[in-house]
Amino acid sequence: MPELIAPIAGNVWKILVAVGDKVELDDEVVILEALKMETPIYCEESGTITEIKVKEGDAVNEGDVLVVFG
Amino acid sequence: METDWSKVIEVFSSGIIGVFLVMFLLQVLTQLSTRVIDAVENRCKGADADQPVAPSQD
Amino acid sequence: MFDILKDLIFSSGLVSLTGGNLVMWLISFVLLYLAIKKQYEPLLLLPIAFGILVVNLPLTFLMEPEHGLIWFFYHYGIELDIIPPLIFLGLGAMIDFGPLIANPKTLLLGAGAQAGLYVTFFAAVLFGFDLQEAASIAIIGGADGPTTIYLTSKLAPHLLGATAVSAYAYMALVPIIQPPVMKLLTTDHERQIVMKKLRPVSKLQRVCFPIVTAMTIMLVVPPAAPLISMLMLGNLFKESGVVERLTKASSNELMNIVTIFLGLSVGATMTASTFLNPKVLFIFFLGLFAFVISTAAGLIMAKFMNLFLKDKINPLIGAAGVSAVPMAARCVHKVGSEANRRNYLLMYAMGPNVAGVIGTVVAAAILLKNLG
Repeated sequence: MPELIAPIAGNVWKILVAVGDKVELDDEVVILEALKMETPIYCEESGTITEIKVKEGDAVNEGDVLVVFG
Repeated sequence: METDWSKVIEVFSSGIIGVFLVMFLLQVLTQLSTRVIDAVENRCKGADADQPVAPSQD
Repeated sequence: MFDILKDLIFSSGLVSLTGGNLVMWLISFVLLYLAIKKQYEPLLLLPIAFGILVVNLPLTFLMEPEHGLIWFFYHYGIELDIIPPLIFLGLGAMIDFGPLIANPKTLLLGAGAQAGLYVTFFAAVLFGFDLQEAASIAIIGGADGPTTIYLTSKLAPHLLGATAVSAYAYMALVPIIQPPVMKLLTTDHERQIVMKKLRPVSKLQRVCFPIVTAMTIMLVVPPAAPLISMLMLGNLFKESGVVERLTKASSNELMNIVTIFLGLSVGATMTASTFLNPKVLFIFFLGLFAFVISTAAGLIMAKFMNLFLKDKINPLIGAAGVSAVPMAARCVHKVGSEANRRNYLLMYAMGPNVAGVIGTVVAAAILLKNLG
């Protein structure tokens, strides 16, 4: 199942989707905060969210899985 | 006050060349030390991985 | 009775006020407003603004050599070169050289942006400044407050207020200054380049870097020693992981304390007579020019390097060679994401950004060697 991976390290600022949402390529899924800057993370492909692996306030590293979708 | 143009040119050129040379030197040394450390760490990791399996190797 | 009153009036500063003082009060109030209400770099702007205010209240002798309170801060902190290196200690304790170590080529991008400094130097000389003054103006383009203050206090101390305020002001304005330059000098296609994943950097490599850098720079360019030694020591504190108390003190308590004295002293050099002359306008103009040229130089360097690279770099990160950390890196990320949403340039831009800090120190040291 495709996953959305954190491209940079940071803190999860806002989660813009819920399990079951349909997302398209380039949709904003999550906003990370890195170096005091809001960094929106966009979808790499279309699908439906099956699992959200982080919650707001979590610290993530580059490579961590943020969201799983199928 | 007369501008000493030869000095200006000297500062300008020695400055640009100087900055590039120093940063390039630093780049080379960083790459070198990084490769050395990579090699050392891989060898250590390799040796550690081999230990439990066949300590008599190498 | 009347004599006592007369005495009070004439010993007060009120009678010694000049028109210039009043103008400086106005400037101070504007800066206080920007700092407090608009929260524009308040950590520096507030003490600077207050310094300006108090030094333009006559007869206080706050800046009187050997006597004034603020003079002591200025003399021991700035003239004796203690404050800028201490700020660098704190900076080093906060900086992450990881993206740089992962891609050491970015050191050349840091160098490229600094080349822009020398163009500004040339321009300043053309404007009529003498060589020492021109150097102090040029270093504004390094986008590095402490280095600007360090160099200016040594080469052209009468310009300290103007160059320092310029440097900090334009650093805050990076999000406005850089994007037009970036869009002008890069093609849409170039801005969309996605860069290869950065290789992981081990702890040993992170510990080795500050040591190698300190030794190299200090051996090759000794005048850089006060700044680079502190920068690398702070970084070594952080990367070693074994002196967390020292790392914390450097990046928090020490930084904060030193910033107070820095801001106040720099502001207090801005007396009406030093600040209110046409040279200052030129300095503000050249400061802006310096930022633009350094951004352009970094971008051009990146494009040049791309001619020889198999894994292309996104030329936008060249603009981050202007060492306003992390403002320039954030700016590069924003412009990059406008071209390609799924391109996350922030960490890639941090490489040249931190390289630029080292580069500015080297550039300043070379200027000092030639003109000091």
